[in-house]
Amino acid sequence: MLYKCVFSGSGGQGSALLAKLVCQAAIIDKLKVVMTQTYGIEQRGGDSTAFVIVSDLPIGNPLVEADGNLGIALSASTYGMCLASMGNSGRLFYNSSLIKQEIEKPGLEQIPLEASDLAIEVGGSPRGLNLVLLGAAVAATKILKIETVEEVLRETIGHKKPALLESNLASFRAGLAKA
Amino acid sequence: MPEETLFLKNTETFAEAMVRCGVRYHFAYPITPASDVMKYSAMLLPQYGGRMIQMESELAVANALAGCACAGKLGATSTSGPGMSLMQETISFMAGAELPCLMLDSMRVGPGDGDIIGAQSNYFQATRGGGHGDYRVIVLAPDSGQSIVDLMPVGVKLAFTYRSPVLFVIDGVTAQMTETSTFQEPRDYAADFDTSSWRYTGTKDHPKRFLLTGSYSHSQGYELNERLRAKFEIIKEKEQRWEDQYLEGAELLLVGFGIHGRMIRELTAQLRSQNHKVGRINPISLWPFPDKAFEKIPSGLKNVLVVEMNHGQMIDDVRLALNGRAPTHFLGKTGGDTPLRTLAEIRAKALELLEG
Amino acid sequence: MEKASDNLSSLYGKTLFLDKLFSYCPGCGHGIVTRLVAETIEAMGIREKTVSVVGIGCGGFSHHYMDIDAIEAMHGRSPSVATGFKLASPENFVFTYQGDGDMSAIGLADLLHAANKGLPITCLMINNTVFGMTGGQMSPTSLPGQVTATTQKGRDPHIHGYPILVPEMMLAMPGVKYLARESVADAPAIRRAGKSLRRAFECQEKNLGFAFIEFIVPCPTGLKKSVLESYDWCKNQMTAYFKPAVFIDQTE
Repeated sequence: MLYKCVFSGSGGQGSALLAKLVCQAAIIDKLKVVMTQTYGIEQRGGDSTAFVIVSDLPIGNPLVEADGNLGIALSASTYGMCLASMGNSGRLFYNSSLIKQEIEKPGLEQIPLEASDLAIEVGGSPRGLNLVLLGAAVAATKILKIETVEEVLRETIGHKKPALLESNLASFRAGLAKA
Repeated sequence: MPEETLFLKNTETFAEAMVRCGVRYHFAYPITPASDVMKYSAMLLPQYGGRMIQMESELAVANALAGCACAGKLGATSTSGPGMSLMQETISFMAGAELPCLMLDSMRVGPGDGDIIGAQSNYFQATRGGGHGDYRVIVLAPDSGQSIVDLMPVGVKLAFTYRSPVLFVIDGVTAQMTETSTFQEPRDYAADFDTSSWRYTGTKDHPKRFLLTGSYSHSQGYELNERLRAKFEIIKEKEQRWEDQYLEGAELLLVGFGIHGRMIRELTAQLRSQNHKVGRINPISLWPFPDKAFEKIPSGLKNVLVVEMNHGQMIDDVRLALNGRAPTHFLGKTGGDTPLRTLAEIRAKALELLEG
Repeated sequence: MEKASDNLSSLYGKTLFLDKLFSYCPGCGHGIVTRLVAETIEAMGIREKTVSVVGIGCGGFSHHYMDIDAIEAMHGRSPSVATGFKLASPENFVFTYQGDGDMSAIGLADLLHAANKGLPITCLMINNTVFGMTGGQMSPTSLPGQVTATTQKGRDPHIHGYPILVPEMMLAMPGVKYLARESVADAPAIRRAGKSLRRAFECQEKNLGFAFIEFIVPCPTGLKKSVLESYDWCKNQMTAYFKPAVFIDQTE
């Protein structure tokens, strides 16, 4: 198995967190992982894309070069960036609460999900939108075990912010149910 | 503690690996993309009874590292292009004084201040020596977090066996990547080496010793250089490291180190599975350059393609090793948002050469 | 037959090599400072654990006259080498021996940051106001009007800057526990210098912090003066600008 994942989002939407979650869960599932991010002089915020390669074999090429096969786009301004990194097969899950216009890419299956709205509905805040989309992606691709993702959520978020954990789990499960 | 898989940025992997293998003193100065090494080691070293010492410039860094080595202890530093340039005088000094240490050049684009994006532009500086004099340092080029971990004990052993700086060169893209690496339990490889026969720690157990890389007579200078030359010859003979695959029947040979080595590994397998006659050589020691790898190239070889994150530096060594036996081609790039050739580009060039 | 050095050996002990051919020029102030260093090491009984880090220039010869380990560092870098050494081997006694060129020109940053770190190392600057070994060129400490190989009409502060006062730059550094300027212009000054050196070395032995002494010494060859004239110049001209003083003594 080889998943080349592209996670793009705007400042504070949690695309980097999404990448880390996938990595941590994949490691627990005994998979090999490479994560790359565009880096610059120390700065935060703004648009960013994180790339994660997940494989059951040692990873050769560590780059995602317009051959991504699992994408998650969180914001309108990063949708194009995400799309450009995707190949002509696989799935791109995007947040249709914010991304109003789908751009067609031959061979690529695009799945709209009103993730911001859904997150507010189940968790009372749009902050869980990244997990809604992850839930949908996990359910559709089986890239990770559901229990493993929930375990990682408990470990990473649960320690620091127990209140946030419940709404995040709810968001993730809402996404799972949507697939 | 049995083996342990960690998910770290490769700069952090370097720090974790060097400390596990015996480095107790890490001297450094902040510079992108190497700063995470010192951040990580500052956190880790106290647990091992060591220290990260932030100095005031790379000049001070390199010389404190030399001082640490004079005490017979294993020290390390980590830096990038401009810092590497500032250290060159002292690297020449340490090579001449036969002082062991580990260094990391997390390579970024040059020249001058350059850019903080990754590159392999310091190949010449690393392998030719940016400092003065007839000297060499051992240069190792890992291509992933796992190979940093696997090469670290090799680096420590080489540093003490040959009493020489050992320089790890890693392109900044690989250095900034986060990936899984499996570590063995900590083992102080430096402790295997008895430094009492050469360190400068007082005359209690030996007659007066002094470190001299200059000379008070011309014959003294000659003798020092002859001794170094003999050592460098032994290293060249015994310490060439590389990985090769599919050489048999190959018509095209792909050569790359670091991240391009890793990409070539995937590409060669991919092309072979499609019945293309492609082989590969991934140099791991850049000095000594693995000339021996090129001794066994097949007679039917038609082309060699060297891929680098620069404008053509290692290709000189490939040409020397080939000595005219096959035409050599180059694909490279330095800088930009994607500061390297993509697998698709390398594949296209390889197919062009195979068909041409 | 008894050699003259045997008698001297009983006086100086093991630290000073009395049979070693001397390479300092006749009348050179380094000879006095080197002897004071050897005497202090001997008196403190620290010879076997002492390591000298020497600079480039005539001061680099200093270790040849002492039975101690030594490291000849790159030009100006001795304080950084000593810093790395002391961290890796705190049980050793480490001092640097550098000239004014090595320390106040190319190596000033290394010195000041070593001082500011406050590690227990000892740095000695032997200031004769010229680059002696390379042929008497101007150094940062050359006096206004001083004729050197590279200031044929005398040092002009408007072009070359003013003579640099090194210890004064460390006055505001809490890590500096002993700070002094001494001279070797005459016997009383040499006696004071010896006492000061003992304090500076004890500062390290007691693990208190950084210690620094600048020694004002003549260089007859570099100054193009007779030995007597050079001592006179040292006493009247040099120390008028570089005033001997104990600036900081927190060794008690």
